[in-house]
Amino acid sequence: MANRVAICAVAQIKNDPNLWHARFQNMLLECFEGIISQTNVSFDMEKGIRTVLTCSDDVWDARTISDNAITDVVGAHFRGEEKIAQESLNGLGYAMACILSGHDDIILYMGHMKESQTESRGMCTNLAFDPFYCRPLGMDFVNVNAMQARAYMATSCINEEHLANIVVRSRKNAKKNPYARNNAIVNQDDVMKSPLLSDPLRELHYYPTTDWAFGMILCNEKRAKEFTGKPVWITGFANCIDSYFLGDKDLTSNFTLKNATERALKKAGIKGLKNNFELYELCDHAAYQLPMWAEGIGIIKDGDGGKWISEGGLDECNINISGGMLNGNPLLLGGAARVIECFYQLRGEADKRQVKGAKRALAQSTYGAAGQHQAVVIMEV
Amino acid sequence: MEYWGVKVEDIFNTMHNRLRPEGAKGVIAEFGYDIIGEGKWKIKVNDGALGVIKTDDISNCVAVMVCDGETFVGINIGKVDATNAFTSGKVKIEGDFGQFGKTAKMFKKFVPKKASMSVRDYMLDMFGTLVQRFQPDNAPQEAVIVYDIGGEDGGVWTAYIKDGKCELKEELPAKFTVKLEVQEAKDWVDVMLGKTDAFSLLSAGKGSIVGETQIALKLEEIFSKYQDPMAGGTPEQELIVLKKIISVDQKFSTGPVMGKFLNALKNKKILGNKCPKCGRIQLPAREVCAECRVRVDEWVEVGPKGQVRYMEYVYYASPDPLTGETRETPYGMANILLDGCKGNDTFAHLIRRDQIDLIKGGKDDVSGTRVRPVWNEHRTGSIFDIKYFEIDE
Repeated sequence: MANRVAICAVAQIKNDPNLWHARFQNMLLECFEGIISQTNVSFDMEKGIRTVLTCSDDVWDARTISDNAITDVVGAHFRGEEKIAQESLNGLGYAMACILSGHDDIILYMGHMKESQTESRGMCTNLAFDPFYCRPLGMDFVNVNAMQARAYMATSCINEEHLANIVVRSRKNAKKNPYARNNAIVNQDDVMKSPLLSDPLRELHYYPTTDWAFGMILCNEKRAKEFTGKPVWITGFANCIDSYFLGDKDLTSNFTLKNATERALKKAGIKGLKNNFELYELCDHAAYQLPMWAEGIGIIKDGDGGKWISEGGLDECNINISGGMLNGNPLLLGGAARVIECFYQLRGEADKRQVKGAKRALAQSTYGAAGQHQAVVIMEV
Repeated sequence: MEYWGVKVEDIFNTMHNRLRPEGAKGVIAEFGYDIIGEGKWKIKVNDGALGVIKTDDISNCVAVMVCDGETFVGINIGKVDATNAFTSGKVKIEGDFGQFGKTAKMFKKFVPKKASMSVRDYMLDMFGTLVQRFQPDNAPQEAVIVYDIGGEDGGVWTAYIKDGKCELKEELPAKFTVKLEVQEAKDWVDVMLGKTDAFSLLSAGKGSIVGETQIALKLEEIFSKYQDPMAGGTPEQELIVLKKIISVDQKFSTGPVMGKFLNALKNKKILGNKCPKCGRIQLPAREVCAECRVRVDEWVEVGPKGQVRYMEYVYYASPDPLTGETRETPYGMANILLDGCKGNDTFAHLIRRDQIDLIKGGKDDVSGTRVRPVWNEHRTGSIFDIKYFEIDE
């Protein structure tokens, strides 16, 4: 890639089940101050931040133009401001467009989601569907993902034990991540006895209600050194969208993820995954998605998910050392959380969970029902 | 011959289009029409199917209507009262009178084609077709529904519903189940033609419902949709529209800053916070000064009295999307410069409704009308702990 974009700094609050004492402005303000104190970036219209990007969702915030309510705490007044209501990882693509076009040198990118604000996550995701057909059928992200889970588990020989092991591992990994949601350590039996949400998905197979916010500074190659001695480079980014109606696609095909990964790798000039990546962060809304997305990216062959988990593939390939979305990141922000973990790992700042010699990482995110939209970013030092 | 611009043939030639299958259901008979000086027609009805022919042979009909062209057209377009015509002998029914009565419900009213219809034309047509549009299956057992429509083209119509039957009278009864009051006939016509919805009319204060609101909300089911005669010869296809109120319960945390501001209202105090850098006072208090990008930690009590800087008259009130609550209009919303504040650091609230015409907005060098808050007796930490501001005399 001729021109690289750097991530110079990240900030986040701890993932929390219910930040009852804060409104989302408070959550963002902590991240904003974290970014400023790390970088001393200014808001000078020549040399500083001219554009602020944010990521949030109108339905979950229960207000239209959800970014309007937060412009003060993200420093956006009297300059460019734009929101994306797509999965947060895609904000990196937006920031790259601003920077690589030469319109901006520096982008402040912030996102928030307070899932605890709504009384029903299912009712919010039900609104993602069309009002005439799918909504009345009661579709939401959980039960539609369950349909995909059932189909995928059959084709890749995934059983209940595999899913339980994924959850147990996620909780253990998260204990080493100071920003991860505090969850109880569970064993295989706990998972297999947790209530069914929508067969085969059980409560512990699904990411829990979480409040979280983040911020990051992205910058062009020329000026990155002004803000950090250790920039992490974005060398490839791509996303891909599949059809809206579930009936239009093979739920197990991973078509969009394969498409996005292939394009991102091409942009980064990387041929194949093998021996080229030290870690992967995948957006596992539910346990079954971890092997499924691994297949989609090409870490393993189609249909090998069950075998791979049995053989310890998750640890061998350093998948979701952070605990993953499964341990608790809010919807919409799972991708940003993946990017932030890769950022720490590539800078050698992941403390007890550090992957030795991490030079290149792949972060993936998904949004919409049953992996409708997929995005992939490749990060390097 | 034409009577009021309509020929006898027009009435017969439009019968297919005007047929109401529900009115013709179960009727198997032939009816004759001997229109003196115009000709003879026969209509054949077979359980919802209809045949109309011009023929001299009407001998096998179960009943025959005999009248002149003017009376026939007059009855069909509503210019001649059918009962009067019959009792005065202008109309004769030969044969089975009871069977012939069924033809009254078999057709929609004939509406002469005009370049346009006035509001009054629409009012007459809407209420003229109300009984035809009655849907007994969706109606309550018994109800008295009053339409009190104001303006030059308005009037009072009352639909008496009892045991699956509906009767319409132009009168205001002493007792009713529900009364719809609409200030202007034109607005009601717009509602009936689907140009605006009744909810908007109500929230704008242009109409009201007295009595059992639930019945009023079901009117669209009790009477089938009014068809605009100007919309074309063929009945308009019904658009399938899904009406839904989207509601997901939320709990909005205030956070420490908004929380402190709201909590102070309980104690009849208005708290702003002052930017340590530029000195402006924010109302309501917020975490940061957006202009200086610094935390705002200094609290100052301001007001509670102040002067109005700007006030607007709101005539069309948006209902609260979260509660559906509406408010009376017009009302005055004002930006008030509370004592202790300066520049643009104003506080937004409402003005006592009967005083809105007395309010004058101020400028930097001229004070606006002085106002004071009227506090709610029961305060909960809400912006309505202040009911409104009133003139401070």
